[in-house]
Amino acid sequence: MSAAIKGPSLTLKAREAISGWLFVSPILTGFMIFFVGPLIAVFYYSTTEWNLLSQQSHFVGMENYVDALTRNDTFWNVLVNSLVFAAGLVPLNMLLALGLALALSRSVRGAVFFRTVFFAPVITSAVAWAIIWTFLLQHESGAVNRALSVIGINGPNWLHEPHWAMASVIFTRVLKTVGLNMILYIAALQSIPRDYTEAARLEGANGWEIFRRITWPLLAPTTLVIMVITVVGSLKVFDHIYLMTGGGPQNATLVLAFYIYEQGFKFFNTGYASALAVILFVLILALTILQTILKAARK
Amino acid sequence: MAKLHLKELRKSYGTVDVIKGIDLTIEDGEFCVFIGPSGCGKSTLLRMIAGLEDITGGTFEIDGSRMNDIAPAKRGVAMVFQSYALYPHLSVYENIAFGLKVRKTSASEIKTRVGEAVTMLQLEKLTERYPRELSGGQRQRVAIGRAIVGQPQTFLFDEPLSNLDAELRVHMRTQISELHQRLKRTMIYVTHDQVEAMTLADKIVLLRDGRIEQVGTPHDLYERPQNLFAAQFIGAPKMNIFKLTDECQNLRENLKLDRNAHYFGIRPDSFEIVQPGEGILSGKVRLNEYLGNACLIHADIEGHDPVILEQPVGTKITTGTTISLNAKADNVHAFAKDGNRIA
Repeated sequence: MSAAIKGPSLTLKAREAISGWLFVSPILTGFMIFFVGPLIAVFYYSTTEWNLLSQQSHFVGMENYVDALTRNDTFWNVLVNSLVFAAGLVPLNMLLALGLALALSRSVRGAVFFRTVFFAPVITSAVAWAIIWTFLLQHESGAVNRALSVIGINGPNWLHEPHWAMASVIFTRVLKTVGLNMILYIAALQSIPRDYTEAARLEGANGWEIFRRITWPLLAPTTLVIMVITVVGSLKVFDHIYLMTGGGPQNATLVLAFYIYEQGFKFFNTGYASALAVILFVLILALTILQTILKAARK
Repeated sequence: MAKLHLKELRKSYGTVDVIKGIDLTIEDGEFCVFIGPSGCGKSTLLRMIAGLEDITGGTFEIDGSRMNDIAPAKRGVAMVFQSYALYPHLSVYENIAFGLKVRKTSASEIKTRVGEAVTMLQLEKLTERYPRELSGGQRQRVAIGRAIVGQPQTFLFDEPLSNLDAELRVHMRTQISELHQRLKRTMIYVTHDQVEAMTLADKIVLLRDGRIEQVGTPHDLYERPQNLFAAQFIGAPKMNIFKLTDECQNLRENLKLDRNAHYFGIRPDSFEIVQPGEGILSGKVRLNEYLGNACLIHADIEGHDPVILEQPVGTKITTGTTISLNAKADNVHAFAKDGNRIA
């Protein structure tokens, strides 16, 4: 009588599961240490009054939140500034990105060159970009005002007048980031089968109707992703503000991320800065959830 | 009414000529099938008729009016795409109504015409569904519905059944045939499937390398192929072609072939197996394939390419047997040295 063949002690499914966990464990470990850990720490710090210099810390509960939301006028100004920045940047960025993508998605002469031109700022150093634009927007000697003076316009002091400062940082930020959204839109446009537009042409639709009834609805998933990425990016903006205006003039460009930096690393109110960071986190999380809801509703 | 006239029609992409001078007339109400191997230009020709491709040279007329520079939507044509091209974000109803909407047709008219189309195509229960929720056959019917509602004079079909399984293909083929009988409109149909061509067409246009090889009824193409390409393209299995070498001049006499004949062809179903020594050819059976309703016998013929003959089921021939083959002179097609048919 032959001995029965003895199989492995674990089932195939269990062995595959173990392999799977082993494969993801390095990234999972990094994620826990460098993302989840600090996130929990920030939540904890936000409930303390902790001065980084004196190293004194004590638990204050929700006091930092209450202070920011009810007693600190600057916080609300900062929040409004962040929302103004986002409200200015997001539509301008998306409209420009869509327009460029529509123009450059076709295989026409020069399209690749112009795609490169508009994408180049994305890979350019943010510091270099901000410094160049700071020079270009100088009041007396800036190239922008010099160009305007040629056509008889006396340009404002772009970065030092409250209204113009915000407009200037929005505009220069749009030019810096529009290339990425343009590429995303180009990829989406090129994935729309040519048959759709040809069928619509045969049925009598003109260019605008094809865009309105076919292209735009089919771009909706991409538009949603781009919108969330751009909104989140605009709420997190820091380097651009730091380098071009430093939050000024008169706090006109003081946005949330920059305010968190000021509270944490200039005034060393670590606990308070952590509470502000949590508020920014919640704001961004809410927008991400909104994206999920919008996607679900679309289905 | 739509009579289409193509005069010396040409299409080039840069220096590459794709359509090399097509002269063709498609009568009003005719069902015309463009057939040919991949890359022969049949879809390009259809797209030129639709207006989706520019015409490089020649003239395209519908009912005597030059159409070369007329916009696709003003040619009175509707097209069913190979991919169906159903708009994924629109329901079946909205897909069918799309063309009417962009043409600013009144709401009541849209409702009436879409209603008629969905009834005709048995799509009543599917109007609120989206394309992704439909089967291949249902999508095909929606695509046809979208073509019908515009009441075009000419329907263009670009390999509409190629994405369907064999059973559904037969079903949809009959539906398209019935649609043609009902609407009596000019239809142009591109396919590489000769069964579709033979069963649907009033007129078959056989293309190769941007040129017409033969135009005629399915009967003409099968019974009187005008050249070796047509002879071998139409018919499955394809026609057996033999070269008349000096060594087989007796075949010329036995088959009463013209003295200019350089090749002759015999369809697989035209062979008969006769007693040894009584046939014109003899061969050794290499393979016997059972098809259910017939069997295909592959045999090696000395001095010629192997042949395939179709025999009734029950023909008892085993591999390795030597068989003697004969064919009636009426069933033998003779071709000259240049490949053209000798009447």
